[in-house]
Amino acid sequence: MTQTTHSRLPGFFTKNRTALITLLVLVLLPFIVGLFDGASPATVFVNGSGQSKFIQGLAIEIFILALYALSFDVIFGITGMLSFGHSMFYAVGAYLTGIALKSFQLDLLPTFGLVMLAAVVQALLFGIVLPRVKGITFALVTLGMASVFHIVVMSSEAGPYTGADVGLQGMVVPAFISPANERLRFYFAALIILVLVYLLYKRFITSPTGRVCIAIRENEGRARMLGYNTFTFKLTALMLSSFTAALAGFMHALYQPIVSPNVASMGFTVTALLIVLIGGVGTLEGALVGALVYRLLDFGLRRYIGESASFINGAIYVAFVLFVPYGIVGTWRMKSLQIKQGWERLTGMLVKSAK
Amino acid sequence: MEYILDVQNIHTFIGQYHILQGVDVRVPKGSIVALLGRNGAGKTTTLKSILGLTPPREGRVTYEGRDVQGMRSFDIAALGIGFVPEHRAIFRDLTVEENLKIAERVKGDYLRKRDFIYELFPDLKRLIALPGTSLSGGQQQMLAIARALVADNRLLLIDEPSEGLAPVIIEHMMSAIRQLSKESTVILVEQNFLVASQLAEYYVIIEEGRSVKSGAMKELVNDKAAIHRYLGAA
Repeated sequence: MTQTTHSRLPGFFTKNRTALITLLVLVLLPFIVGLFDGASPATVFVNGSGQSKFIQGLAIEIFILALYALSFDVIFGITGMLSFGHSMFYAVGAYLTGIALKSFQLDLLPTFGLVMLAAVVQALLFGIVLPRVKGITFALVTLGMASVFHIVVMSSEAGPYTGADVGLQGMVVPAFISPANERLRFYFAALIILVLVYLLYKRFITSPTGRVCIAIRENEGRARMLGYNTFTFKLTALMLSSFTAALAGFMHALYQPIVSPNVASMGFTVTALLIVLIGGVGTLEGALVGALVYRLLDFGLRRYIGESASFINGAIYVAFVLFVPYGIVGTWRMKSLQIKQGWERLTGMLVKSAK
Repeated sequence: MEYILDVQNIHTFIGQYHILQGVDVRVPKGSIVALLGRNGAGKTTTLKSILGLTPPREGRVTYEGRDVQGMRSFDIAALGIGFVPEHRAIFRDLTVEENLKIAERVKGDYLRKRDFIYELFPDLKRLIALPGTSLSGGQQQMLAIARALVADNRLLLIDEPSEGLAPVIIEHMMSAIRQLSKESTVILVEQNFLVASQLAEYYVIIEEGRSVKSGAMKELVNDKAAIHRYLGAA
């Protein structure tokens, strides 16, 4: 048995080389950045301020976004359900965490349990309409549900709990995970959660259930012809997605000083869609790469360009759709960068609009 | 004679259109029955009505003595009916092996049937790890049929298996269908009368949504007038 394990190990490392190197870089990142900034690993370890702490913060935001994007990819990219109300999955997690910590002074564990319970309820809520609507109708119905939630958190009646249009502020995060004083611990906790969720998703898409979800994406009728009650599989994907997005929302409320109503808006669903499109729809790794590119672009452009950042951001996304239609990971796998086709699409669009 | 499927006077609507206006099909157990007729006669709709994909509004469908009228399509399929739709409806994003595994109804179906399937379609064994997109038309058709063999389907509904295939592939397909009919009953929709007549023991001719003639294929082959009238073949 030992011999078998030994002979498998090199194969495992070769097969997962990129993932393992990435993981190693992420583990060492705070210390490497600290060294460049003149801070010793010991200083980084005790959460001294400086570049390392700043980069850890940026990375945590990317990890949370990546979790959120993964949760969108499992329903859109893997199962083929387009939901325009996905932000609600995230916002419910964020708001519930904030309210439980601030208004009810709950401990972290019961708060987490509550968030997971809410994840089940919201997935079931979306699931109610599943057998009746599909395609764009499903997208619009989910948008309607999320809009109702957005209106509720913005309302003055819910204001004492949600902070209405100002957002929920003043949550007391337990000291042992406080992002201000224990950022390195938060960084590693977020990294571990992301890695575990990613591995769970990898396992899911290669499982029989995951294969049926892919089959549903391709042709739901064919999956039914094989004797599958597709509703059950779509609901499973929704559950998984809801758990993950609510977990991301839970981490958002712990990390950010404020839960803004923006996270419940249609715009935040578009963020998930953009991230997945940038990275590659249905690839899982695309959600991770997309979150990195999206956040760095947003951060870099806002820092160096300021107000015009949104415009440049938009232009970059249009260019992505035209020239890298399979996203970064999809294009990498298919070796199919579509420069020529992209120009053709662009000129086609311009000629059409000129007419 | 024992019948595995008995379709009695079914009427099926698609939207406002009355597509099937009285179709009767009786399928003896262990036989191959061909549904014949011109384009648009209602042959494919008959298969879909049996499986509940386009549920009939009137009439009765009995499978193994059980009334399946009104049941959901995936429940009907789970009773042991395999459907091979036209246009080689495989899952193109899944590999050959995944396409077969996904058709398991009971865990281990694939492992039990693997040898039989690869004996029937040796090409598929070679292509096992390739995605559906990489297969030729003939290979996709073989995979579509093979997929229906993974589970213990006692009735196979095969829609246009020879459509768009080269003659040499059609020969191979016919021999595979003959082979698999030893284990399952087959209903075949086939435009190519030569193929249908060589495979099937019984036939049902459908014209403008009605079954107008049925019987033993041997008799139809000698009835040139009926062939000319209903199928347009010389």
